[in-house]
Amino acid sequence: MIELVDVRKEFDGKSVLAGVTGRIEQGEIFAVIGPSGSGKSTLLRLIDLLDTPTGGTIRVKGIDIHAEREKSLAIRRMMGMVFQKPAVFNTTVSENIAVGLRFRGADGGRIREKVEEALDMVGLAGYGERRARTLSGGEMQRVALARAMVIEPEILLLDEPTANLDPVSVEKIEELVVRINRDLGTTIIFSTHDMYQGQRLAHRIGVLMKGGFSQVGTPREVFTLPATREVARFVGIENIIDGVVVGENGASVVDAGGVRVRAGWLPGPGEEVSLCIRSEDLRIAPADAARTPPGRNALPGVVTAVVPRGPFSRVAVDCGVPLSSVLTWKRVDDLDLREGSRVVVSFSPESVHAVRRD
Amino acid sequence: MHVSRYINLIIMHRRIIFAVATIMVALMLICGCTGTTTDPTPVEKQQLRIATTTSLYDTKLLDHLTPIFEEKYNAEVLVVSAGTGKALEYGQRGDVDVMMVHDRAREDAFLADGYGQNRRVFAYNYFVLVGPESDPAAVKDMAPEKAFAAIREKGMAGDASVIFVSRGDASGTHSKEKAIWKAAELNYSADVQGSGDWYQEAGTGMGATLEMANEKQAYTLSDIGTYLAYKGDLDLVTIVDEGDILLNVYCAMQISPEKFPDINSTVAKDWVNFLISDDVQKEIASFGVDKYGQPLFYAAQDDWEKIGVTEAEVKNPIA
Amino acid sequence: MYEIIEGFLEAARLIVTLDADVMAIALRSILISLTATVIGTLVAVPLGAAIYFGSFPGRKGLINLIQTLYALPTVVVGLLIFLLISRVGPFGFMRLLFTPTAMVIAQTVLILPIMTGLTISALSGVDPVLRDALRSLGATRLQFFGNVMKEARFAILAAVAVGFGRAISEVGAAILVGGNIMASSFASSTRVLTTAISLETSMGNISESIALGIILLVIALGVNLVITAIQHR
Repeated sequence: MIELVDVRKEFDGKSVLAGVTGRIEQGEIFAVIGPSGSGKSTLLRLIDLLDTPTGGTIRVKGIDIHAEREKSLAIRRMMGMVFQKPAVFNTTVSENIAVGLRFRGADGGRIREKVEEALDMVGLAGYGERRARTLSGGEMQRVALARAMVIEPEILLLDEPTANLDPVSVEKIEELVVRINRDLGTTIIFSTHDMYQGQRLAHRIGVLMKGGFSQVGTPREVFTLPATREVARFVGIENIIDGVVVGENGASVVDAGGVRVRAGWLPGPGEEVSLCIRSEDLRIAPADAARTPPGRNALPGVVTAVVPRGPFSRVAVDCGVPLSSVLTWKRVDDLDLREGSRVVVSFSPESVHAVRRD
Repeated sequence: MHVSRYINLIIMHRRIIFAVATIMVALMLICGCTGTTTDPTPVEKQQLRIATTTSLYDTKLLDHLTPIFEEKYNAEVLVVSAGTGKALEYGQRGDVDVMMVHDRAREDAFLADGYGQNRRVFAYNYFVLVGPESDPAAVKDMAPEKAFAAIREKGMAGDASVIFVSRGDASGTHSKEKAIWKAAELNYSADVQGSGDWYQEAGTGMGATLEMANEKQAYTLSDIGTYLAYKGDLDLVTIVDEGDILLNVYCAMQISPEKFPDINSTVAKDWVNFLISDDVQKEIASFGVDKYGQPLFYAAQDDWEKIGVTEAEVKNPIA
Repeated sequence: MYEIIEGFLEAARLIVTLDADVMAIALRSILISLTATVIGTLVAVPLGAAIYFGSFPGRKGLINLIQTLYALPTVVVGLLIFLLISRVGPFGFMRLLFTPTAMVIAQTVLILPIMTGLTISALSGVDPVLRDALRSLGATRLQFFGNVMKEARFAILAAVAVGFGRAISEVGAAILVGGNIMASSFASSTRVLTTAISLETSMGNISESIALGIILLVIALGVNLVITAIQHR
């Protein structure tokens, strides 16, 4: 449905997007995640024709949207956008929602009908005559959403729509997004810096870093099989070990500063890699009691810190390389883990995800 | 599609809109009137524009005379009052039809330059030197020139109670003041202006200058008309009121139609003749008596010798 | 102090008895300034919009110039127009000097910079996100301009109010081009509240001055009150 081909955007000589390539399929929810300032808003604005790219092409249904000025209005009218800041016009809620319909020349009766529907959809029935500016942030954002949806767009763009909202409103908006996609089949692209939101709502995620998509894939892929070290960092993989692939007794192993780690899949010897291991996959046991099944990696080390984190504790261990895992308090107590405790950290080679370092 | 919404808006604000609409209709009527009166047609009234000095205007003599004229000649008189300098400027630009001023020297220049013609003198009175009752400079009833010199002397010597307030604008009164300084053998710009705190320039009209002099309990030169009009509110008294040099002669003259062909010279002529006509001269001579107990002006008609002008100037109507 | 109290009492009497002269002056003030404001609005608002929405070389410089002109001394404008419409001036043939029309022209010229500038400010005050929202909703150029202006409508209305306030309070130019004439007909006279106050004060008629001053205050403040009321609906 939407094709991004080497899209570039510069502002005053500063490059914000440096070659974004990807596809967004019709009817899917696509999340653009990335650190602040990575160009997420810019990308969405380029798609919505609010800005023009410095280079590259954006195609919607096969049409290069920036090439044909005359068609641009028609194309823009096929899309709706909700912005990070809940922006409503200084008039009633109904009038706000009706703006897009008025632009298209709809008559009064039809407008009233559609506005009612839209109000229902976002759960603001009866709010029609209230002045939009008197609403709370979450309510205003729902008005903005209704305003964008009432024109029945094929593509809905949302630029960090819940960034400034309270948790209850966030939930409501997320619910609406899912429902709109499910019931109306609208293709939805939203950007967020909250990767968990991306994980919750999206069919596919694009990780925007350094001006391009470092990875595009399903939430599972992105979170468990990051394509680069930076993506791994961003999606919150706490354990990243850098090393070099070496051959040992015919099998491939990574030498990470003297520590040997076996991994399920590795590129050829001599390659520099980063190994990503999720905390959940690490087991920590006291050194003496440890009996590691064969085949697993077992690294002895010393506990360097036990940091509380909600109902859990993060236990950091120095095994020659820094590793950390998350355990319940109870477990920490049971195992009597504290700073200085001698432990063994074990994990299966399959849980190690190797990423080339360039 | 938008129409019903706009109609709703109008209905909501109908009262305001009605008020604005009324005003606009009134406006158009007014502007319509203004439009027609700037182009006098034989059926419409003629307009006469007069530039005069503030001292003459403030006596309200003109307000008294113009209705009589307007009825008799079916005209409309518009009077602009300004300092003599400005009034002369208006005359030089042809923005008015008649000038009425009281500065003989500048009038002569005006006529010589061809801007004005047919000067007629219609009234005169005297300037007076007024000041505080205590008369700190002890100049009461002295000759005007000597009084001025004495005031200056005491002021320069540092007597803080001796102050002179000048009009300080290019008015006829200011010109007269300067003439008296000159007659006292003083150089105005060197010896008087800015020579010390005793001499203060007001830069305002006669009324305001009198009020300032009153505030400061100072001396000032005023035309009799304005002084009488203000006397009730002032603590100043007449210090010197006799002396040829205090003579204040008012004239009216047409602006030259040669220089400004579209001047209303007919009605201008009528006005000047009106001023020197017997009936009006009588009006002028009695103006102010009921209010101030003495007339503000003397009719020029019979005193042309006394005031140093030709008989023709006071008697002969313009042809 | 006594003089002031006396003045106020006399002023009240003049107002309550609807003294003919005073009422004529007040009405003329309103009419002239209202006309100037209407004309000014019809020029300044579209002009301000055109400058704001446009992009052309020197745009920023133009906006700076307009804002500098806020401080244009009124007597300077009066002098300029006087020189232009005086009989010896280029427009002398139109015989505009000393007419109410001349005063309307002077006041219009006077309030144009501030009304234009405030219109531009009003439009700049519209949240950029709303501008994006309008475009993303598929507004044509005209719809875009219209809606941004609608969004700024209260601030633009305030600009109009400021214009009227400035026009009716103006005295320097009014005297220069109007002449402060009190003629026998309403339409030929050019005396307005401000010039009348100036004259009455210089003649020492305090109570008349106070009466006129009170009326001027009431009108100027009244207009602003009405505007504020509208804005709060």
